[in-house]
Amino acid sequence: MFEKRNIASVYTATLMLLAAVVIAVVSGRSYMEMRTPGPDIDRLVPHAGFTRKQLGDYFEGISGTPADTPVFIQEGAEPGGTILILGGTHANEPAAATAAVLMLERAIVSRGRLIIVPYANMMGRTHTFPQDAHPQTFHFETTAGTIRTFRYGARTTNTVHEWPNPDIYIHPASGQTMAGVERSNLNRAHPGVADGGITERLAYAFMELIKKEQVDLAVDLHEASPEYPVVEAMVAHDRAMELAAMVAMELDFEGIPMRLEPSPKNLRGLSHREWGDNTDVLAILLETCNPSAGRFRGRTDEALILTGADKAYVKAFELGRLFVPYETGAKPMADRVARHVTTVKLLADNLEYVRDGKGVSIGGLPDYQELSDRGVGAFLSDFQQSE
Amino acid sequence: MYLTWIYWAIVVFIIVLVVRSLYREKSLREQYVAAMVLIPLLLRAFFIK
Repeated sequence: MFEKRNIASVYTATLMLLAAVVIAVVSGRSYMEMRTPGPDIDRLVPHAGFTRKQLGDYFEGISGTPADTPVFIQEGAEPGGTILILGGTHANEPAAATAAVLMLERAIVSRGRLIIVPYANMMGRTHTFPQDAHPQTFHFETTAGTIRTFRYGARTTNTVHEWPNPDIYIHPASGQTMAGVERSNLNRAHPGVADGGITERLAYAFMELIKKEQVDLAVDLHEASPEYPVVEAMVAHDRAMELAAMVAMELDFEGIPMRLEPSPKNLRGLSHREWGDNTDVLAILLETCNPSAGRFRGRTDEALILTGADKAYVKAFELGRLFVPYETGAKPMADRVARHVTTVKLLADNLEYVRDGKGVSIGGLPDYQELSDRGVGAFLSDFQQSE
Repeated sequence: MYLTWIYWAIVVFIIVLVVRSLYREKSLREQYVAAMVLIPLLLRAFFIK
């Protein structure tokens, strides 16, 4: 229809150019807000017992880079083992980071040590995937009325920090070939490379943390789509299988079934495989169910992130296409966070049985029913919000 | 890191070509298409997205 009017000229070209620049500026500002969010976004209010370090303290190669991220350590009065919890390896799996934040704000360690890294890949939190239409943030309201805002990010490192990706990524430690985008995926980069790309260096820093802190149990928190077979599941390295099996049974008794999956030996770069193979740690990965990152989903908004309610998934469930129960037509965030927190608590409770003298006692965490009933906001801390 | 700057130079070069085309086009529709193509290129050139 444009051609027929034949009104193109240097003036219309200038107008178009200006429109493109205005759109680039408006969208650019929005992207930049994700990179340097306000003080209330992603804010952490650690429990009094935690001391703060930076991951860069363990490996200088990421100090002062966008990959550096806070590490919180709480030591109990009694000696015991050390547990590492990673949230936010994939920033589009919101219940994982939220569970880590909740544990950071509530956990009271009486025996052993608890190390929490709530935002493992900070570089995944600064963007969302093109065409996925995810909202940039989601919110919880605390009992005192404070609004806690968290970023919804992407599975991989922002291309601004790591660009370009190769057509094919060759995992350095194993030589396994993967899709090029996996070069920016923290959970394909383990055990990392000291002088590699920034995501590989980040993975290397986690390996250094595990070695230097002599971690006994490392738990990587994740979420998966309802149509993905490894969902509501624990993926355990060979040496962690006994502990994971004990916890899977206990969860089953409590009516919170978690599938138990062995860490595949031929799938390299994943935390549960590489941490377990390269160190003495018991490595486990947890997956809850996140419809907001699924491929079948319909309208993608904050409500979907928080409720997991989606008509398309109801239909997919009726057709037998899902790997999780979906009779209620929802997967609320509170249930998903509760599943992570309860599993971590049980892993800590049972660690003593597989590692003598290495038990870790964590108190202060809400139980599954309490968290599920009252919601996540009821267990997040309040703070004076900035204007 | 070299690759990043090589790609950046390519992006800037394409921006120049697209702007040149934008002003040479006689069709309003083609001008519109060129303007839309510019948006992601500008975001990439400034390392915003």
